[in-house]
This record gives sequence, C-alpha cells and structure tokens, in this order.
Amino acid sequence: MSFILDPVLIFRILVFPGFTFIFFLTLFCDWVERKLEARIQNRVGPMVAGPGGILQPLADFIKLLSKEDIEPRDAKKLVFRIAPIAAFSIMVFAMCFIPIDGASVLSTGGFNGDLIIILVFSTVANFLLFLAGWASANPYGTIGAARVLTQFLGYDIPFLLLALTPAFLAGSLSIFQIAGSAWPAILLAPWAFVLFIITLQAELERDPFDVPHSDSEVVGGLETEYTGAKLAFLHLTRDIQVVFGSALVVTLFLGGPSGPVFFGLDWFWYTLWFVLKLLVVIVISEYITTVVARLRIDQVLTGNWKILLPAAIISLIVAVALVTWVYHPLGIGV
Amino acid sequence: MASNNADMVSLLESKFGDKIQIQKDVLGTAAIIANNGIHYDVFKAMIEADEKTGITAITGLDFGANLGVYYHVHTTNQFFTIKAVVPTVDPKIKTIVDIHPGALFHELEVTDLFGIVFQGNEFDGHFVLSENWPDGVYPLRKNVDPTKVKLVPTPEREFNKPAEGREVKIIIGPQHPALLEPEKFSVTVDGETVTKVEPRIGYVHRGIEKTTESRTYLQDTYLVERVCGICNACHSYGFVETVERIFNADVPERAQYLRVISLELNRLHSHLLTLGHACLEIGYETLFQYFWRDREPIMDLVELTTGNRVYGSLMTIGGVRRDLNPEHVPKIKAVLNDFKTEKMPFFRKMYQDEPTLRLRMKDVGTLSREDALKLSVVGPVARGSNVDMDIRKIQPYAAYGEIPFNQIVYTDGDTWARMNVRLDEVEESINIIDYVIDHLPSGPIKIDLPRSVPEGEAIACIEAPRGELFYYVKSNGTDMPDRVKIRTPTFANIPSFLKTAIGESIADVPSNFVSLDPCFSCTDR
Repeated sequence: MSFILDPVLIFRILVFPGFTFIFFLTLFCDWVERKLEARIQNRVGPMVAGPGGILQPLADFIKLLSKEDIEPRDAKKLVFRIAPIAAFSIMVFAMCFIPIDGASVLSTGGFNGDLIIILVFSTVANFLLFLAGWASANPYGTIGAARVLTQFLGYDIPFLLLALTPAFLAGSLSIFQIAGSAWPAILLAPWAFVLFIITLQAELERDPFDVPHSDSEVVGGLETEYTGAKLAFLHLTRDIQVVFGSALVVTLFLGGPSGPVFFGLDWFWYTLWFVLKLLVVIVISEYITTVVARLRIDQVLTGNWKILLPAAIISLIVAVALVTWVYHPLGIGV
Repeated sequence: MASNNADMVSLLESKFGDKIQIQKDVLGTAAIIANNGIHYDVFKAMIEADEKTGITAITGLDFGANLGVYYHVHTTNQFFTIKAVVPTVDPKIKTIVDIHPGALFHELEVTDLFGIVFQGNEFDGHFVLSENWPDGVYPLRKNVDPTKVKLVPTPEREFNKPAEGREVKIIIGPQHPALLEPEKFSVTVDGETVTKVEPRIGYVHRGIEKTTESRTYLQDTYLVERVCGICNACHSYGFVETVERIFNADVPERAQYLRVISLELNRLHSHLLTLGHACLEIGYETLFQYFWRDREPIMDLVELTTGNRVYGSLMTIGGVRRDLNPEHVPKIKAVLNDFKTEKMPFFRKMYQDEPTLRLRMKDVGTLSREDALKLSVVGPVARGSNVDMDIRKIQPYAAYGEIPFNQIVYTDGDTWARMNVRLDEVEESINIIDYVIDHLPSGPIKIDLPRSVPEGEAIACIEAPRGELFYYVKSNGTDMPDRVKIRTPTFANIPSFLKTAIGESIADVPSNFVSLDPCFSCTDR
C-alpha cells in the first residue's frame, strides 16, 4: 500500500491543502463574514483576539470545546453524538475534491462524475444536520430540523440543475475539467451564475432563506439542545458549508484556481487566486444576507417551486441550446 | 352621532330619567351613577349613540361595605365614567363583554384584584396575580395586607393542559427569544395555522397600584415612573397631571411646554426602538442596527434635558424639576434636524419600498376598523386601522392645544400600517419639539403645592408612545392616595393580537405581535 505511506500524500491530506488548511480557511472565511456583516451594520465586529479580531472564530471554537457537554435525557444518544461530527467530516471530505491549489487533495485530476459525488456529499451532510436536530428531543430542534429538510429537499433540485449548466458548457462532469475550461461559465452563462448564487443562499440557509434559524420562531433551530464540543462542530459544519458552497461557485463558474502564475511555485499562485475568488463569492453572499429580511417558510417554498425550479430548468435548456447551436460552431468553450 | 358634550348627557338624561344621576365635570365630561345593572343599558345606549365609544378602563374601588366599579368610557372626543356599586359580601355585576368585547381584559383584571364577579364572564384562576396567590384573597381591597398573605403551591390549571386531537399547543413564553419580557401565550396551531391564542399576563406584576397607597404623592411620582422604562416620562406625567387636576392647580405655561419636550423625546426613542425591534423579528438585522444606532443621539438628548439617559424624573407635582439650559438648544436642534433630513428619508424608503420587508409585513395581522373599535384598541394600533384617535388632538393636555401637528392615520390596518404610523409620528415629534423650543414661554417652571392633596378624584388620559395611557387617582385628604389606577396601552392592545393572529401562519406571530409595541412590564404593573 505505497498509496498510504507516500509522505507527500500524507502531507497533502493532513496539512495542505487538506484538513489543516481547510480548517483555517473556514475560520478565516468566518472572520471575513463576521467583520463584513458588522461593518455593513455599522458595528465593529470582532476586535480583541488577534489583529482585527482575526483569531476570534478560533477562540470561539476552542471556548466551545472547553464547555460542559449536556445531553437531554430523551435524546437519541447515538445519533445525537455522531451526527455533528459526521456532518463535519463529510463536508471536509467533499472539500478534498475541490482543486484548491490546482489539483484536488489526492493529487489527482479527479474523475469524471466527481461533481455528482460532492453534491451528494453536501446533501448527506444536510441530512445529518436534520438528524442532529431530530434526535435532540426538543420541539424547537425538531421544527428547525424539519425546516432544514423541507428547504434543502426543495432547493437541492434547482441547485443540481444549475450545477449541471457549467458541466454542459465544459462538456464534462469532472470538477477539474470544468474548472480548467478555457472559458469560465460566468462568461458563457451569466444568468446561471446569478441563479446559482440565489439558490446557494437557500442551500446554506442564509437570509432571506434562513427560516430554519429564525430565532423568533424556533429559538435555536436544530442547535437548540446542543452544547459544548458538539455545538462547536455544528457551527464549524455550517461555516464549512459556506466555504464549500462558495468554493463550488468558484470552481464551476469562476474558473477555479486558474489565473496567471508570475514567479516561483505555481501552487502558491493557484491557491491565492482560489482564495481571492472564494472571498469575492463570500462577500456577495454576505452582502445579500445583510440587506434583506427573512422570508416566511411558505414564501421560501413558493419561491422555490414557482420561480427557481422553472428558472433552473429554462437555464439548463438555454445552456444546452447555446452550446449546441452557438458556442460549439463558433469554437467557444469546448 | 352624538359628538358633543350636551348631546350625550342630554340623551342619557332623556333616555333613563331618574334611574341614573349625572354629575357634570366629574371624572371626565360627566360621571353617570348607574346602579342595579343600569350600567349595562347606559353603556349600550352610549355605543349606539357614538360608534367610537369604547372602554378605557374599569377601576375597582373599596368603600368598605361596598365595592365600586367605575367604567371609564371614551367617546369620539370625550370621557365619561359610569359608576356602579356592588355589596362587598356578594359582589356580582353584569358583564359588558357581550356588547363590547374590548372590556374582557379589564373585567378579568378587576375580578382578579377585587373579587368582583362579572356575570357572564366568570373566570377561575388568576389573570394578573401569580399562580401561587391564594384564591379568595383580593389584594387591592383595603383589608388585605400583602405582607401577610401566605402563598400556596401552584395548582394545575386548565391553561397548562395540552391540546387534543390534531391540534398542537405551542407555548410562547414566559421565556422565549422573541419576547424580551416574560409573558406567556399558548398558541394552538393546526399545521402552521393558528386557531387559538390564550394569554397569561402578570409575570412581572409588582403590585405598584397597591404600593402607591402606602407612599406619599411625591414618592409615588417616582414609583409610577418605574412602571415602564421606556415611556417613563409619560407615566410620571400621567400621575402628576391627575393629581394636579384634583388640586385644580394652574401649572405655569413654561412647565407645560417643557413637559411636552420630555414627552415627545420619550415618544421619539420609544418609536425608534420598536421600529428597530420589528426588523429584528422579521430577521432584518441590518435595519435593526441602524435604527438603534440612530436612537442613541435621541437618548443623549434625554440625558441633556433631564440629566439622565433613561429615568429623567423631570415631572413633579406642580411643574418640572429642571429648566432647559439655553446653551443646549443648538445641540438639540442640530440632532433633531440631522435625524429629520439625513436619517428619516432612508428609513422611510426602507419601510415603504424594501421588498422583503413588505413581504413580511404587508397583510399580516390585519385589524379592520370595525374590530379596532369593538376591541377598544389605542394608539398607533388604532390609528393604523383608520381610527383617528389621538388624545393629543381629542382632549389636549399639557401644551398640546397650542402646538400645530398632524394626526397620522393609515387605512390598511396591518403590521405595515402600524409601523408606518410610528415612523410618521417620529417626524411629527421632531416638528413638535422644534416648535416648542422656538415658542417656549418665559416664567416659572414650578408652583408649590401642599403635600396633602384635598379629597377628590380625577382621571387623566394621555397619549403615550404605545397609545392612550390612563390614570385615575382618588385622594382622601391625606398625603397618600387612596387609590391609583393605571391602565397601560399594551393592556388595551393585546386583545387585538388575540383576534388578528387567528387564521394566520405561526411564522407571522412574532411580526404581528411586535407591531403592537408590547410592553409587559407596563401591562403587569
């Protein structure tokens, strides 16, 4: 099994661009979000831990780890314990397929169809979050969990359809090839980019679609009964979902890590471009979050089935038509 | 429609003859003594004569052998009091809930605190008092010493039992993130639709009405200020005004104008607080932060004019305690002008046009004009439902009679209309303060009045930020009041929520509820 003992591979998995890098990237993105939200809302945001409060997400994580861990007596213990950590692990695993430094973590070019795999991973992670809330034996947790399920079942369909648009444009289901295509999908199908960002807000349960976390109705939602380390991992899962969603946008629509390489190591430049693009997406997403109010659950569902789903189908049809009759004959894209 | 003084009084005289006695210019335009169940017919006649007739408050009184029930009634532009008396041994009186549903809470409260049974609206258990309070002990009766009452273990009441069938009971409160103050609402839902709301108030009942009876008038001025932290100036003013009416005191002009500044600053920051809070309830954190940020300069003005950021304690019996420092005038004007020209257009644009905000507020909790009148709602809730009921216009107090301002009325009756009433009133308040500062008369700010108040009784209705605030004070010639009755605006507005929530989604409950600008510490007293 030389595969496992390869030190470079172990380094890639554990340190860069694997677990450690993803972990700190998540905390960094969390800080950017919090700082940006605070500035838009005319507050200062985190200030104390580290320069500009940059270590605040890490401090929060460590603080939660050290807190008392309380389990409700009626909770389904096994699911209650496993779900947060399993959801987190699956999200990290899904991140490993994203070509952050020009290649995926396993140093391969991926395989045809890995786009579908990571979308399945994100769905499974959402389902685990639902189980986490469901198992906590709390009415608010249950309602919050049910809302997560209702929402992601609805929005997964347009999300998948919209993710397929760049795949059609690139003529491949491999993330690596989609990211590496000469014309990023945002140029060929800008409408799909806009729709994808909106659907992503719903997938990530962010305003205006954050009904599962509406504290005036469902208190803490699925997190209500969670404390200590489990809560820390639930928070981390939500943060990593945001990073994953944004990374997906970068890979599918913004050309992934590709960008000019000036001098030195190419992986450095690839990572830099990737993180910069990632931040752009996060800024857009955070901006939407701060400037709108939360919708009602029925408005969220209506918005999905009546507006986003038809729009996603039309978007896919238009993309296929364009590829077949316009882009291909002109030699653009494929 | 009887809309002036002579009409209503002569109408009642001709209709009931010597079955009632009318005391003119007592407790409003006239007090009508109507015993032996006549109060019901009198009230009915008043409702038929004037569609805007509603219950302001019901005051219970202890006369020893008898208990008094005073129905304080408002019509289009007047206040009346219907006085009824029942024997203490078997206190029973006919309910008026069947002709005016808005009286429900008022009757329940009197039942709980005085033990008067309203036939047709009997009630078992406690409404304002703690569940541990023993049955049959009525705290506001004179023979009850609250320090000697033995509390009992919590009994199991119907209220706490779960719903049956396909309906689910969701308990909102007493501790809930959407409620900043403790109050319980049992919401019965069928799926996502609300079918029933049962309130339980009284979690912060502090017995302020009882306490006032054992303190001097001056001490009470500061005690009633503590009824509410937000509209504190309105409370102290309401009390002071009532006592001054018993004195028949002639308060200096300058003091009246200074009081208006304090009352309007109160309204300003209260409205800004609730406008922001409503945004928080619908998940619009950014707008919430903006509102509360821009509320701070107003709080600074309160500090500048009264010396304290929250509890100004400006009002005192006979005038105000502090004069306006002329050096502060430019600062006050600058802050208000900045708010009006820089901040208001933005807030107005957001509340009028922001699509997600409209989605959550438009057509939510719609209260028709008819229901608003029937439930006797007050303040911005009434004005949002096309009921032009602003006490400052109907019966001007302090210096409001001399100040030009507009009454804001919206016709939609939904959450959005109620919030927009408040937003427009913010601008009116700024105009009023501007006008008052420009037209401030010179002269003393206070007259000295004796510590003992002559025997008598009086009422005062004032327009607090949340609506009509009612005070009744009865004095017995000593330096302590015999009875103080406080009816806060939220107490009058909660019934409208019980009505509008039914048939709507559970998700609309918070935004509907916050549009009443609820204040439970006020409500419970």
